[in-house]
Amino acid sequence: MLELYAISKIYGNGVVALRDVDLKVEKGEFVFIVGPSGAGKTTLTRLLLAEEKPTKGQIIVNKKVVNNLRRNEIPYLRRQIGTVFQDFRLMNNWTVEENVAFAMKVIEASRRSIRKRVPEVLDMVGLSSKAKHLPTQLSGGEQQRAALARAIVNQPYVLLADEPTGNLDPETAWGIMNILQDINAQGTTVLMVTHAKNIVDAMRKRVVALEAGRIVRDEYRGAYGNED
Amino acid sequence: MKIRTWGFFSGQAFSSMRRNSWMTIASIGTVAVTMIVLGVFLLLAANLTHWAGSIESQVEISIYLQDEITREQVDELAQKFTQLEQVAVVKYVSKEEALLKMRDWYGENADFLAGLELDNPLRNGFKLTTHRPDQVLDLAPTLRTYDGVAEVQYGQGMVEQLFAVTGVLRVVALALMIGLAAAATFIIANTIRITVFARRREINIMKYVGATDWFIRWPFVIEGMTLGLIGSLVAAGLIAWSYQASFAKLVISVPVIPLVNPWPFLLGIVGWLVLIGTTLGVVGSTVSLRRFLRV
Repeated sequence: MLELYAISKIYGNGVVALRDVDLKVEKGEFVFIVGPSGAGKTTLTRLLLAEEKPTKGQIIVNKKVVNNLRRNEIPYLRRQIGTVFQDFRLMNNWTVEENVAFAMKVIEASRRSIRKRVPEVLDMVGLSSKAKHLPTQLSGGEQQRAALARAIVNQPYVLLADEPTGNLDPETAWGIMNILQDINAQGTTVLMVTHAKNIVDAMRKRVVALEAGRIVRDEYRGAYGNED
Repeated sequence: MKIRTWGFFSGQAFSSMRRNSWMTIASIGTVAVTMIVLGVFLLLAANLTHWAGSIESQVEISIYLQDEITREQVDELAQKFTQLEQVAVVKYVSKEEALLKMRDWYGENADFLAGLELDNPLRNGFKLTTHRPDQVLDLAPTLRTYDGVAEVQYGQGMVEQLFAVTGVLRVVALALMIGLAAAATFIIANTIRITVFARRREINIMKYVGATDWFIRWPFVIEGMTLGLIGSLVAAGLIAWSYQASFAKLVISVPVIPLVNPWPFLLGIVGWLVLIGTTLGVVGSTVSLRRFLRV
């Protein structure tokens, strides 16, 4: 379970990015986080990844309080949270396979389990035939699928997707959404920050809407709404 | 860290060096040039110190005895001098020996000394050498108080000046050396910072995947260490070769300057250069990384 209790984030210059945010996400849920630019979506992801500490409140990931981790504990939190971003963030001089394997090398997995697991996830995202390609030789959708494979290879507790379809055309975006749904169906909690109204409206999942740092709507089987 | 992870680290380090081959060559060159400057300086400093030391070690105390003292008193004094803590060598010089020496010194012009054997105006005495040259200053004045001692000479005034000069030389040498090492660290840190800066995006990605700081750091540390090692080996090789070559020439053409013998002296220099170069590489990469690890 992912729990946020009375989270506020006020930056040094006085900007209030989040104000008293309470949010509970059960294991296995699929949640869209929507809202206009500057509503606090990015701050929320940064807090979850411990890139920043909340000014007030408590964050609990998988029963562990993570809002005040020591620097050397942060990597272990991030291993529980698979991440994908709008800009893919792949190593451009490594092949797809190496990019995915890297996440396993970080946790010092054995060679044998890397050899077994990497083809599995590449198959799951439909990239088996491009395993030896460099990211620069792939389309945007393929790059995002490689990033997804890397995000789930260690079977994280949560998958955090920050506008994963932001750089993709609608058709390719749906390909990514299908994979996200597959991942979710296998029990991984998915948190997706997005502006893609059509996707949110079509999928009818839980929608949490942020505005000016507050949660203004939290709706199961919801739609994108009028924000933006 | 597991062994296979170390394999991954060195693989990363070497592929990074291959990929940025120009940067690698530039870094090795920078280390080499800095280490050559440092090495030349070490050689100069060592030789200056050696030279100063050889002058200092020539400092001795001459003790002249009163004419009327007996053989027993002389033996007694010899005993006392030998027992002094600071004294390394005690040598008795009779006035006959002193005269012979004087004759040697003047060589063919020694005629004016003829006939002095009959009525030798010189005095019997001792030559003392101390363990450390600077002990002369404290010891010499006290010797004057011994019974039977007529006069003590140790080049008063001149010796003090000599020690002042060699002391300053040593301090200056040390200060310059520290300054050079600091400059070298700065240059290397800067060079590696460029490599790190070019890879800040990769470092960022690694952090998102959950890599620990050390997991990210090690390949850079290995890279810096290798650059430092290769650069300083090149420098040490050049330094050793050219010192040996110039030693062979200078010993013949300028024999008055006492040069330090190349072996085993050069082993020490090479060892220091390689050690300093490698350390600078490691320190440089660690320092450059610090800023980029804060994600």
